[in-house]
Amino acid sequence: MPAPQSDLLQGTLDLLILKALALQELHGMGVSRRIAQITVGTFDVKAGSLFPALHRMEQAGWLTSAWGESETNRRAKFYALTKAGRKQLRTESERWERISLAMATALRTT
Amino acid sequence: MISRLRALWNNVFRREQLDRELDEELQAYLELASAEKMREGVSPEEAYRDARRDTGGVEQVKESVRDVRAGVWLDRLVQDLRYGVRTLAKNPAFTLIAIATLALGIGANTAMFNLLDQVVLRLLPVRDPERVVIVRETGNHYGNGYGPNTISWPMFEDLRDNNQVFSEMFCRFPATITISGGDRAAQIPAELVSGSYFPILGVGAALGRTIAPDDDAVPDSRPVVVLSYSFWRSYFDGDRSIVGRTINLNSYAMTVIGVAQPGFDGVELGVPAKVFVPIMMKTEMTPHSDGLKDRRRRLSWVTAYGRLKPGVSMEQAQLSLQPLMHSILEMEVQQPEFTRSATPADREPFLRNRVELLPGSENDLREDMRRPIWLLVALTGAVLLLACANLANLLLARATARERELAVRLAIGAGRARIVRQLLTESLLLSAAGAVVGLALAFLVDRILLRIYLPADAASEFVVSPIPDGRVLAFVVGAMLLTSVVFGLLPALRGSRTEITLSLKDRSGTLSASGISLRRMLVGVQVALSLLLLVGAGLFVRTLRNLDSLGPGFPTDHLLTFRINPSLNGYSDEQTKSFYQRLNVKLQTIPGVASVGFSSMPLLKGYAWQNAVLGKDFEGAPIEEQPVLSEIGPDYFATLGIPIVAGRAFTAQDVGPAKYAVINESFARQYLPGGNPIGQRFGLVDDMEPVSPDIEVIGVIPDRKYRDLRETPPAQAYFPYLEGVHFRFMNIYLRTQVDPRQIENELRERMRQFDPHVPVVELQTVNEQIGLSLRTERLVASLSAVFGGLATLLAVIGLYGVTAYAVMRRTREIGIRMALGAVPGDVIAMVMREVLILIGAGLATGFLLALALANLVRSQLFGLNPRDPLTFVGSAIVLTVAAGLAGLIPALRASSLAATTALRHE
Repeated sequence: MPAPQSDLLQGTLDLLILKALALQELHGMGVSRRIAQITVGTFDVKAGSLFPALHRMEQAGWLTSAWGESETNRRAKFYALTKAGRKQLRTESERWERISLAMATALRTT
Repeated sequence: MISRLRALWNNVFRREQLDRELDEELQAYLELASAEKMREGVSPEEAYRDARRDTGGVEQVKESVRDVRAGVWLDRLVQDLRYGVRTLAKNPAFTLIAIATLALGIGANTAMFNLLDQVVLRLLPVRDPERVVIVRETGNHYGNGYGPNTISWPMFEDLRDNNQVFSEMFCRFPATITISGGDRAAQIPAELVSGSYFPILGVGAALGRTIAPDDDAVPDSRPVVVLSYSFWRSYFDGDRSIVGRTINLNSYAMTVIGVAQPGFDGVELGVPAKVFVPIMMKTEMTPHSDGLKDRRRRLSWVTAYGRLKPGVSMEQAQLSLQPLMHSILEMEVQQPEFTRSATPADREPFLRNRVELLPGSENDLREDMRRPIWLLVALTGAVLLLACANLANLLLARATARERELAVRLAIGAGRARIVRQLLTESLLLSAAGAVVGLALAFLVDRILLRIYLPADAASEFVVSPIPDGRVLAFVVGAMLLTSVVFGLLPALRGSRTEITLSLKDRSGTLSASGISLRRMLVGVQVALSLLLLVGAGLFVRTLRNLDSLGPGFPTDHLLTFRINPSLNGYSDEQTKSFYQRLNVKLQTIPGVASVGFSSMPLLKGYAWQNAVLGKDFEGAPIEEQPVLSEIGPDYFATLGIPIVAGRAFTAQDVGPAKYAVINESFARQYLPGGNPIGQRFGLVDDMEPVSPDIEVIGVIPDRKYRDLRETPPAQAYFPYLEGVHFRFMNIYLRTQVDPRQIENELRERMRQFDPHVPVVELQTVNEQIGLSLRTERLVASLSAVFGGLATLLAVIGLYGVTAYAVMRRTREIGIRMALGAVPGDVIAMVMREVLILIGAGLATGFLLALALANLVRSQLFGLNPRDPLTFVGSAIVLTVAAGLAGLIPALRASSLAATTALRHE
């Protein structure tokens, strides 16, 4: 059984996935790697969380998917942001920055 | 939004492709992950295994992806249903038993609820039916009457003109009239209604117009008639040109002014009126009695209705009407009509009479059927409960047997909620199938029940339809959901608690123990309910047997009866009398007829003509003690087989001016005590004029029943029919030498030849008539017997199941005991002790229940106590023997096990 996930709020995971796909389209493994990379290894998103999130976000219309070829020449499903996904990324980023600023201020206060 | 809809569409209709794509996507992920690990120097096999492990289980990932799909619930439901159907189909015996049990439970309940709804609960099909009430007078009326809900015409006028609580009042009188035309004639139920009837009820016309207040202002002035919609369709084939034409009612030309709106058959549910006539035409429609123009206050005949003013409750109205009623009674008590009908001692009780309001839908049929139908509803409720207990037991047994299956499903990743849902889906499937079959069953049962309940000539087009409406369907769905939750939830919850490791490891015969106490309890409940139903069945069957063995006191075999009413054909009194005399001769010539008797009053139909009598030494009497009277033809007693114990019977020569009577022994004891009654005289009290004792007793007969089989014969007096006042109706009795049913057709044909305009009504044998009068008792007895037997069967099956299971669980223990020297008798005793404890506990509970509920059925019993010891003990013995045998089978099987086999038993 997998070790307990670090407490990843659903909104956080969604935001990380949107961010990971902001530059280029990626397949599932790619998204996982990219998140590890941009969070400097803090978040290691397992398949059990990643795929449900990807499918849910696709159904919400934020992502679209297409079959392509992976770096190992294998057929893989690539995800990309839609227009709605970019908008979501913007609003969610702003919200998150507000929250993290507020949290940081709150925690520094003695 | 659109993307969601598309996703939903894909998820529902392209599931397999989505699943294939998901497989491929995850496969790619795994390969990429293991390639990464291989780059770190891990061997390919190990890399792949690690990758798989890191995902936390590929199947689980798939499952959680499916969980986020739009419309996942629908998907799951379809999956559950499919799986449920497959599981149930794999076990057809279980499935069939379960569905049959449920169908019986739900079907019986639906049939009864439908009957209850339509016969007892339903309101009138009019505007605001709950605001329409019947106004009646309680207590003794001291006069003649047409039933407990009627009042006199002048009293109706007093109430109508002086009350403060009704926006308006109307009244009606049900009459049987003859409709004739061309070569056909028929007697049909009619309603004579006041002019305010249709407007107050808010019933309109489908064609033409309804009766208006103007039509009902002056007696005899407006010969108009409104047809009921169903009668217009059936009798006149829906002929639209009927409005404005005249039809003959009682040979009186009446103009059809309209057809009432569909579905309205008058205000007496159960006796659909075919035509509506202004009550001012009473004289023409009921030539045998008046009451309208003579304004008699001692003849109660109209049923009065009022529509409550807005904001006035029934209780308020009843209170506020009381002073008015009292002032009417104060006035009536002064009238000579009253003083002639009652003794001075009757004044006080009469003045205590009160006004009472009843729901407008109330009538005699409802009154009679309310208790029996509620009783049957209660019985069927108990049967449903039993069926549920039985199914819960079956499902528990199945859940135990399926513990391994459930454990496997839990182990490979099914959630517990999912398992509960799956098991509930199965029980819902079962109960839905049960409900469908039950509904069909209920439809059939209701058709049969209505036929039993209703007079034969009304049954064919009776308004109580056997097709259930929305409320009944709601009841069925409710019953279905309730049962499936009741019998499905317990096993489901237990099933979901299954310990994976325990169940998978545990391959031995030591089946889980926790279910057994629950199952025992369910069996105990079944035994208790069965005892309750068996006791009920015993009480009702014995009541029926008591009633059946009563007999009226004269031989009823070979006795045929029918009714005619020539006066409804417009015959004058003289023509009617001559008609009877000629008919009497004619009937005697029919081959197979031994003797013919005429009587103005029917026998054993619950009706009676009662009147106070006076003589030298006595005067008047309250109605309960008034003798029962009839007017009869010369051969009446000979035809019925009633002997003459003193004096003589009437002859054809007993015609005026002298008045004669034949009395029974009770009459002689009560009114003419001491000495020979022959030659003594008495008189009939008349509220219209003073009378003297001028009727001479010429004969005495023994006491025989008159109104119904349950009565002790009342005092009776008979007068010659052609001299009487009630001769316009006549009941004819034929004693036959052959089976009376062989003569029925011949008789009809002869009557038609004799006079085609006088229809023969209610032609039947007296035995059939008696059978019909006991139909409610027969219905209750037969249904409760069926329910009792069914309940016992279910309890026995339940007990067998739980005992067999207990024995199987203890096989190894039994083996050890036998190895240590126990003989088969010890094993049987061991098993049977538990069985008997279970039965005993069930019986004790059942006894307490039955004793507590016994009083509720007292009024439905005859000739025995509701706590009849014989019935109670008998039921207990039957149940103990049946259930004991069911327990003995597994006990015997256990005792015959060889010790070695039992020990090796895994």
